[in-house]
Amino acid sequence: MVLTRIKAILWLHTLRLWRYRWSFLNYTLAVTAWIFLFVLGALLFVPKEYLGLAVKSAFWVIVAWNVISECSSLIGAWMNFFISIGMIEEHIIRNISPFKVILGRVVTSFSVIFVTLFFISAILNGVFKTNVWSVNDSYLLALSFITLALQGLAYGVTIAAISVRTSVPHNMLEIINFAVIGLLMIPLEKVPNFLAIPFLCIPYMASAHLAKIGASGAQPYMLLEALAISLVETIIMLAIAAYMIKKSEEWIRRNGVRAIGFF
Amino acid sequence: MSLKTLLKSGFTLEIYFYKNNRATFLAMFLWPYLMLALILGMGYLFGSPSAFRQNVRMDVDPVVYYVASTLIAMSALSVMWGVGGSILWYKWSGTLPYMLLSPNRMSTTLVFSFIPRYMLGVLIQLAEFAPLIMLIEGVSNGLVKIGILALAATVGMIPLLGFSALFASFLITIEEETNVLSWLNPLILLFSGAFYPAYLLPYWARLISQILPTTYTVELARLAAIVGAPPLAPITFLIGILLGIALIYNSLAYLLVGYGEKKAMKKGAI
Repeated sequence: MVLTRIKAILWLHTLRLWRYRWSFLNYTLAVTAWIFLFVLGALLFVPKEYLGLAVKSAFWVIVAWNVISECSSLIGAWMNFFISIGMIEEHIIRNISPFKVILGRVVTSFSVIFVTLFFISAILNGVFKTNVWSVNDSYLLALSFITLALQGLAYGVTIAAISVRTSVPHNMLEIINFAVIGLLMIPLEKVPNFLAIPFLCIPYMASAHLAKIGASGAQPYMLLEALAISLVETIIMLAIAAYMIKKSEEWIRRNGVRAIGFF
Repeated sequence: MSLKTLLKSGFTLEIYFYKNNRATFLAMFLWPYLMLALILGMGYLFGSPSAFRQNVRMDVDPVVYYVASTLIAMSALSVMWGVGGSILWYKWSGTLPYMLLSPNRMSTTLVFSFIPRYMLGVLIQLAEFAPLIMLIEGVSNGLVKIGILALAATVGMIPLLGFSALFASFLITIEEETNVLSWLNPLILLFSGAFYPAYLLPYWARLISQILPTTYTVELARLAAIVGAPPLAPITFLIGILLGIALIYNSLAYLLVGYGEKKAMKKGAI
C-alpha cells in the first residue's frame, strides 16, 4: 500500500512535468538567462588570465544556490497552489499526507536543477573555453550536494507546513534566497578565526564549504569541522521538518486549513 | 475616458497596491540593493575594480556603474512586465474583454495607465540610491549624476513603452498562454548590455543590441559613472537616438496593437 501511494505521487508529478513541458522549458531558460546575466557582470571584475578559475568557482556557487533555492521555492511554494485547489482536504480524507504529495515535487525541482545546470555549464564552457565539470574530489562534492539538497528539502517542507497555519510572504522567501547566495560566496578562509565555526553553523554554509573544496581543490581548511556540522545540521533540519509536518497535520485535522499559503 | 483619468487610475492602482501588499512594497526597496550587492559582491570577491576598469575600457566607478545598470534594468523590467506582460494577466484574470471594450484604444489604456506607476517606481529607486551616489561622488557631483540617471530613466521609458506594447500585441495575436516574456526579458537585458557592456558582445549580438531601446538607455545612464564631469555631447546624442527610436516603436505599436485587438475580437481569442 505504501509503495502504491509513493508510486502514485511520483507518477502525478512526472505526468504534470510532461504536461507542463513548455512552461518547464520556459522556466529553465529564464533561470539560465538570469544566472548568465549576473555571472557576466561579476566576471567583468576578473583579470583575463584568471577568468577560467573564476568561472569555475562561480559555477559551483551557483550550483549550490540553485539546489537550495529550487528545493525551497518549487517544493515549499507549491503549497499555495495545493491549498487553493482544495487538495489538502481531499488527501487528508483519503488518509494521505498532503506533505508527502508536496515532497513528490522533488521530481520537478531536480529536473529543473539538472536542465538549468546543463544549459549554464554549456554556455559557460562555450563562452569562456573552460571545463566547469572537472572537479577535484567527486565523492566530497556528491556528499556536499546530497546534504545541501536534503537541507533545502527540509526547509521547503518546513515553510510549506507553516503556510497551512499562517501566511508566508513569498517575496521574503525570494529575498532570503538572494541573501543565501551572498553568504555562499564568502570564502571561509576570509572569515575571522573566532567566527569560522558560527559561520559554518549557518544552514547550508558547511555543505557549501565542502562543495567548494570538492570542486576547486582548494586547501581543505576546516574540512572535518565542516563535515561534522553539515551532517548534524542536515539531521536537525530534517527532524524540524518532520516535527512541523506532524504538528501541522494535527492542527489541520482539528481546525481545517487556513487558505492563506504564500502571498 | 480622458487621458487624465487613465493616468489617475494608474496612480491610484499603484498606491492601493502598495497599501494592500506591504511585503511587496518592502521587497521593492530591498530588490535593487540585493541585485547590486550580488554583482558587486561576486565581482569584488573574484576580482578587483582595476581589472574592471581595464575590461570595460573606461575610467568609471564600478559602484555607480552598477547602480546605473541596476536602475535601468529594474525600470526596463517594470515597463516590459507592466505593459507587455500585462496582457497575460488580463487574460488570466478575465478582464481582457473589459479592456478591449473600454472607450480608449487598448494601447492607449495600457501605456497611459502604466506611466504613473513607472514614474513612482523610478522615483522610489532613485531616492533609494541617492545617498549611496552622494556618498561616493559628493553632494554636488552626486546630484548631477542623479539628474543623468533620472533623465535616462524618463527618456528611456518613451521608446520602451512602444516596444513593450508591441510585445502585448504579439501576445494577443499568437494566442499563446506561456509567458515567453519571463525568458525574453533577461535576454533583452543581456543584449542591451545591462550588466555586461554591449560593445564587448560578439558582432551578431551587437547587431541585435542596436535595435533595442534599452541599449541606449543603459549607455545614457552609464555616463553618470564616468569619473569627473559627465560629457554633454554623448548625452545629447543618446537622447536624440532614443527619441528617434521612440517615434518608430510607438508608431508601430499604435498600428499593430490595433490590429492584434481586432484579430482577437474577431476570433474571440480573449
